Amino acid sequence: MPSLPQRKVGIVACSGEEMAEGTVTRLAALRVLEELRPADTVTICLPLFLAGGEGDRAFAKFYPTIAVDGCEKRCAARATELYSNKPAASILLDDVLAERGLPRPQGLRRLTPESQPVVDALAEAIAAEVDHLMASRWSRAEGKVLEASEPARVSSAGCACGSGIPVTRVQVNGRALEIMALDPILEMAYGQGLHVPVNSQAAGASTVPAQLMDTVRLYNTIPTEDDVAYVEAVAIAWQSFCAAKEQAHG
Amino acid sequence: MNVIIVPCSGIGKSYGTVTREAAYLVAEELRPDDTQIVPLSLLVLGDEDAQAAVRDAQVITLDGCKLACATVNVSQAGGAAAREFTVLDCYRRNKQFKPQGIAELNEGGLALARALAEEVAQAAEELTGTERN
Repeated sequence: MPSLPQRKVGIVACSGEEMAEGTVTRLAALRVLEELRPADTVTICLPLFLAGGEGDRAFAKFYPTIAVDGCEKRCAARATELYSNKPAASILLDDVLAERGLPRPQGLRRLTPESQPVVDALAEAIAAEVDHLMASRWSRAEGKVLEASEPARVSSAGCACGSGIPVTRVQVNGRALEIMALDPILEMAYGQGLHVPVNSQAAGASTVPAQLMDTVRLYNTIPTEDDVAYVEAVAIAWQSFCAAKEQAHG
Repeated sequence: MNVIIVPCSGIGKSYGTVTREAAYLVAEELRPDDTQIVPLSLLVLGDEDAQAAVRDAQVITLDGCKLACATVNVSQAGGAAAREFTVLDCYRRNKQFKPQGIAELNEGGLALARALAEEVAQAAEELTGTERN
């Protein structure tokens, strides 16, 4: 049975260093991660989106995220959508201040004591959103919360573990291999510009881009002795996926 | 012209907090007149003012881990770090200061941030050619 990342919600805080509101987002995110919802949340490092954090980008692609921003520029929400996927929820500190009638926070390096209730209020708002997302059905293929009556559009079967991650079955030399999250991974790779070379398709050769295989390994534990078979399986699926895409595009 | 300080902005580890604390120490205490922090989140988003700031000024980056987000993001924004600092290198020079804590650094972490800030302030002095007040 492949081991899968436990279902969690990613929190992306803007952390802007030039304003007290950024400090509040960072401290509130840490409060949720360390105290309020430690079992249900992970941090996603915003700067890593650009600095090559493939794991962070992949997580935000397949799992719900909450963007927490300190100002209207909404760096966390917009950068998450730009580099990975639209956040499942977006919280702006200004909205929390208005709802709770709280004063604007003061202090950069050290928040003033009067600003502590702002951190508490924002942390509570994040935790409430975590609870909402953990109770919702999340489509990793579509990157959004599914409505109660809305069926998943992915044709692959859902995993028996109940995580909602689609499972694709690929036949290799008479053997059926199950690969978690393969469809959305292929979709993401194709969207990133990875394609099967034309001459490779014509020759029927099986090739898999290294970064595609890396992402597959992120979501699947592949026994060493089965590595060749899995690469072959992903190659078959990848070639088929690209051919279907190109046929659809004419 | 101001020297731009870009700390790593990481929120998951003590080393990230050390970079931020050191950046604040430089910009608020050690060299308030000629240094300025540019937040990494704005660079990640592609904010034009932030990108222009790192392209047009001398930049010092403070990184908390080997992924070097601050340096990489400055480079992606079209700038070049005049000086690159990492907390780990500073810790190797100051092993008596072991940082712990994320939201709140322990005494070792605060001391390490102070040591890093002194190094950064010295670098800023060399870049601007003006001694600290």
